[in-house]
Parts: sequence; C-alpha cells; structure tokens
Amino acid sequence: MKPVITLLRSLLRQTVRNRQGLFWTLFFPVVLMVVFSLLGNTKSQVSLAVVTSRSTSAGVVRIMEKSPLFHVRTMGRRAALAAVRSGRMDAALLVPAAPRARTTTLALRYNPANSLSAQQAVGAVQALVAQADLMLSGRPPLFRVRATPLVHARASTYLDFLLPGVLALMTMQNSLFGIGSGLTRWKEKGILRRFRVTPLQPLQFLGAAIMNYLLVGLASSAIIIGFATGLLHASVDIPLGPVTLVLLLGMGCFLAFGFIVAGVSRSQEATIPIINLISFPMMFLSGVFFPISSLPKILTHIVDYFPLTYVSGALRGLMSGQLTWHDAAFRGDLLGMAVWLVLGGAVAARVWRWE
Amino acid sequence: MSGKALRLEGLTKRYGAVTAVDQLNLNIPPGIIFGLLGPNGAGKTTTLEMTEGLRRPDEGRVWLGEVDLIRHPAEAKRRFGVQLQTSAFFELLTVKETLELFQSLYSHPLRVGDLVGRMDLEEKRNARVDGLSGGQRQRLALAVALVNDPEVVFLDEPSAGLDPQARRNLWEVIVGLKAEGRTVVLTTHYMDEAEMLADRLAIMDHGRVLDEGAPRELIERHLPAAVIEVDRSTGIGTDTNLPALVRIEEREEVMALVTQHLEDTLTGLVAWASQHGRQLTGLKTRSATLEDVFLELTGRSLRE
Repeated sequence: MKPVITLLRSLLRQTVRNRQGLFWTLFFPVVLMVVFSLLGNTKSQVSLAVVTSRSTSAGVVRIMEKSPLFHVRTMGRRAALAAVRSGRMDAALLVPAAPRARTTTLALRYNPANSLSAQQAVGAVQALVAQADLMLSGRPPLFRVRATPLVHARASTYLDFLLPGVLALMTMQNSLFGIGSGLTRWKEKGILRRFRVTPLQPLQFLGAAIMNYLLVGLASSAIIIGFATGLLHASVDIPLGPVTLVLLLGMGCFLAFGFIVAGVSRSQEATIPIINLISFPMMFLSGVFFPISSLPKILTHIVDYFPLTYVSGALRGLMSGQLTWHDAAFRGDLLGMAVWLVLGGAVAARVWRWE
Repeated sequence: MSGKALRLEGLTKRYGAVTAVDQLNLNIPPGIIFGLLGPNGAGKTTTLEMTEGLRRPDEGRVWLGEVDLIRHPAEAKRRFGVQLQTSAFFELLTVKETLELFQSLYSHPLRVGDLVGRMDLEEKRNARVDGLSGGQRQRLALAVALVNDPEVVFLDEPSAGLDPQARRNLWEVIVGLKAEGRTVVLTTHYMDEAEMLADRLAIMDHGRVLDEGAPRELIERHLPAAVIEVDRSTGIGTDTNLPALVRIEEREEVMALVTQHLEDTLTGLVAWASQHGRQLTGLKTRSATLEDVFLELTGRSLRE
C-alpha cells in the first residue's frame, strides 16, 4: 500500500503543479457558465415607454410606476416608438387623453423581433391594466389570486440547467484526456517502462493513476459547483452522496474509454482525434447544453444510451430536485453507467499495452 | 556485496521472422564491469531487457547465482538497478521527490542524502526534473538506479548525448560502483568507453556474441600488430600484395593496411611506392584498436 500512496501523492503533486493544465480544466466550464448566466438570466423588468398627453388619467401611470414589473420612462410619442424599434425599450404604452367613452383604449406598441420580451411586456401590461381597472373603478373584484411561493420551487434559470451539464462534460473531458492523453505521454516518454523494472505491480500503478484522476475530478467538480452557486447564484440541490456516486461512476466509464484510447493509439498526437471522435457527438447531443427532448425523435433513441446522457441526466435530475435515490429513473441511469463501465473496462483490459 | 555471477543461457528473442537475439550465452563474474559492444540493432538492448525482466525471452534462462530470474522476476527487480536508454521521470517532481518515490518501492533503500551526494546533485535536490540539464538528468537516472542498493547495475548507453566532461564524470561514477563490489553491465557503441571501462567485453552483432574477453585480449587475439594508414591518393588497391599483410581496407578517407608485422609491411610498402613512383602521402602507423577488432569481426563500422 505504501508505494501506491507515495505514487498517488506524486501524481497529485504533478497535477497541481501543472498550472496550464489546471487552468484549461477549469477555464472552459467557468467561461461557459459566465457567458450563459449573463445571456440567459432574462431581466425581470419590462422597460416601458409611457406616452401621455396633458389630460391623461394619472392613475394608470402611477400604478405602472409603482409596480416592480416595470421600468417606466415617460417620453414623447415619436421618441418612444423609435426606442421600441431600436430595441432600447421593450414596449411603448400610448395613454390617450382623459376618457370620453366608457372604455379607454391604451395602445401598446411592441417590437415583435424580440419575441420573448415582447410576450413578457404584453402579458405584464395586460395584467396590470386589468388590475388598475379594478382598483380605479372601485368595484370589489370577483376573483383574487393569492400567490404564495412554494418552499422548493424556484425560478429555474438556464444556468441551473447548464451546471449539471457542464459537470457531466468535465467528467468526460478530464477522464478521457487525462488517461487517454496523459498516460500515452508517460508511455511514450518511457516513464511507465521505468516503473516496470521496479517491484511496483502494474495494478498498483493503475490504481494510483485512477485514484489520482478521480480525486482531481471530484475536486474540480466541487470548484465549479462552488463557483456557480457562490458567484453566479445558481440555485441547485447538491445531494452529496448521490451526486458523488454519479460523478465517480461517470469518471469510471470515461477512464475506461481513456484506457482504450491509450491502448490503441501509438502516439500522443494520435489520441487527440480519437478522443474528439468520442467526445464531440456526446458533447452536443447528450443534454449538456440543451435538453435531449429537443432532438429529433429518431436521434433520441440512440442518444439515450450514450454514457454522457446517463451522467448528465442523473446529475440534472438530482440537482433540480426531480430525482432521488428511490426513483427508478435514477437507478436506470446508474445501471446504464455501470454497464458502460463494465464494457469499457473489459475492452480496456484487452487492448491496454504497457509499451 | 555478496557477489553472485550473472549467467545468460541460450537467450533467444524473435520478432516475427527476425531473430533479435540468437542463442546468447554470457557468464558475467561478480564485481566487474562488463561491456556489451555492438552497432545499433545488434541486439544489445534486447539482451539487457530480457535480463532485467522487461521482456520475456522466447528461449533461455537468466541466473543470478542459483536463482532463476525468468521464473522469479521479482528477485531480479529487487536486486537489479537499471538505467534505461531513455529514462524519463515525472517532469514536475523535484529530484528529492523523485528519489523518495522510487525509495517507497523497495524495502531497504539507500538514503536520499547519500544518493544526491554521490551523484553530485546536492544543489539540485529541490529542483524540478524539467529544469535539469542532460547531464543532471543522466545522474538522476543513475541515482534512481542505485536507490535499492543493487547487486547488479545495468546501464544502457549511459554516455549517449553527454559532453566530454560529463562523460568523464560518468566514467568515474561507474568505476566507483565497481569499487563498491557491484557488478556493472553496460552497453555502448563508443570504443574508447568500452576500452577504458570494461574488464570484460562481448562484441555483438546480429543477435550473437562474436567474441568475448578483456579488451586487450580481444585486440591481441584478432589483430596482433598494427595498422598503417595512407591516403587514398596513393593509389594502393585492396589487392596489393605486401609482406606480413593481413588485409587492406578502404575506410572513409584512407586505406588501412592491417598487418601482423609492422616493419616488414612498411618496408614492403616503401619498396612498392618507389617501384611505382608513388608518394606515400598521409602515412601513419598506429597500434590496433577495438574499432579494428570490430571491423575484423563484423565487417562493418560501429557507427554504421
């Protein structure tokens, strides 16, 4: 056991001292999440240009200004329409002069090019106008909605969706590149040969190498989770036991694939295209960046069995609070990963070469 | 050091149709420096690797004293110290950490302080491997080879790529290993190195030992006297007949007249020149070297 621990410590030192390697391990996920959290956090306020005339009923405008839903700016008609066209304001509300008829028509002009904020604007204005109507008319409402936030519910942002995907992606990339590329390098440079003329057993070496990648993988996952929840305010569940298990199983699968790659390729350069061939389809299809349900039906029948699909599915289920130990779907994901691990491990054991 | 002889018996390794090592027998007495001399591809490294336990021979046995090392490879790993032809270590570990890592693999390792002291690496103790020069890396590889206080030390082309000063330092270290009673087995294709260091030599080519013995012995056995060299412009042919001549060889710029009796051949040569009206430009005589023995045995130069 002593040699394994000393070797593991050496490998960890080697990893921590490889500043460039560490940087690229964490850089990509961090940039992904920062970019998407800036893009994806839809702003909660509708910017509304209100165009009034001198005799406008001030009530509607005052209610709009008080509502947290709106960022209201009063401006002239032409300026308002120009602002909507250019996208600077979400919508312009044209409030006519004091009502003559029983129903006053408020004209809402919006820019259909930006469909999301347009929908938001139209909906919010309609709701508020209805409310204002009631309040101003002084009639008791027939219905009232009492909104109570649920304890476990949350406004799920894209970042919350992305985080488990990014963790799954890291699991794949680090394991594949770590073993596939790192081990091939050691093999090429003769580091593995050097250990073969010592009493160190091959399995001891492999054990230490695998433990090294698992520990590094768990640590970098923890850093990314900490970054996403602490700095970017992702709100996700982290059930420690199940999440760790999924990460370990996932890494196990991809380490096995990494061994296969290192076994079949003769040089370090040759490993890169093979790794890309394995990882690219999964990176884009296995629910890392968008849900699998948005893929064409035929494709999902295949993608459902990809190892990364199991990892991202299980992590997303756990982190969104939709899956627990007891769910059949979660056990299905675990089983899927276990099958890949066994298959990959069996092939790896056959093709792995020390020289 | 207890001193057990190392015996290779009928070692054979085939790669497909190519026989890299062919029924090789060697008896290496304890406490000497034994050299394997031969051109690239002669089978030196394969022989070493089979002895060290890195490669399984197709046939043959390796004995250290009474222990069959093919059957008990763990014994070989415990007792041997090995410097491979390309020794790479983890680049981001320090010299000290590297030695500690290899220490952890053995039950009675030498101390780090002793190893860095002997290999003149004290100043580099806390330097990372990626910052070491070629010579320092070579010394680290030697230090690692000595970590388990080995009975037999294998050095595969130890001075390859070293500058002359570093080579001389390395030779001192190797002689020091012998002084401690260790057996040293080294491969080289440098004649001067083999002549300088080895107590016994085996000349290898095509996977076989062509001859074996002390360097002087080999020279005397195969080339009793000397070599006369003259420029090619002299016009002397390989079929020229001179007294006491063994043969005439065309080498890069000169014709080499290998002789059993220097004076007789020289007298004959002078007579031949005056008879044919030729100038003996670049005339030079020297005693035979291992290079000549090698050519005699293999018909080709070591660096071919």
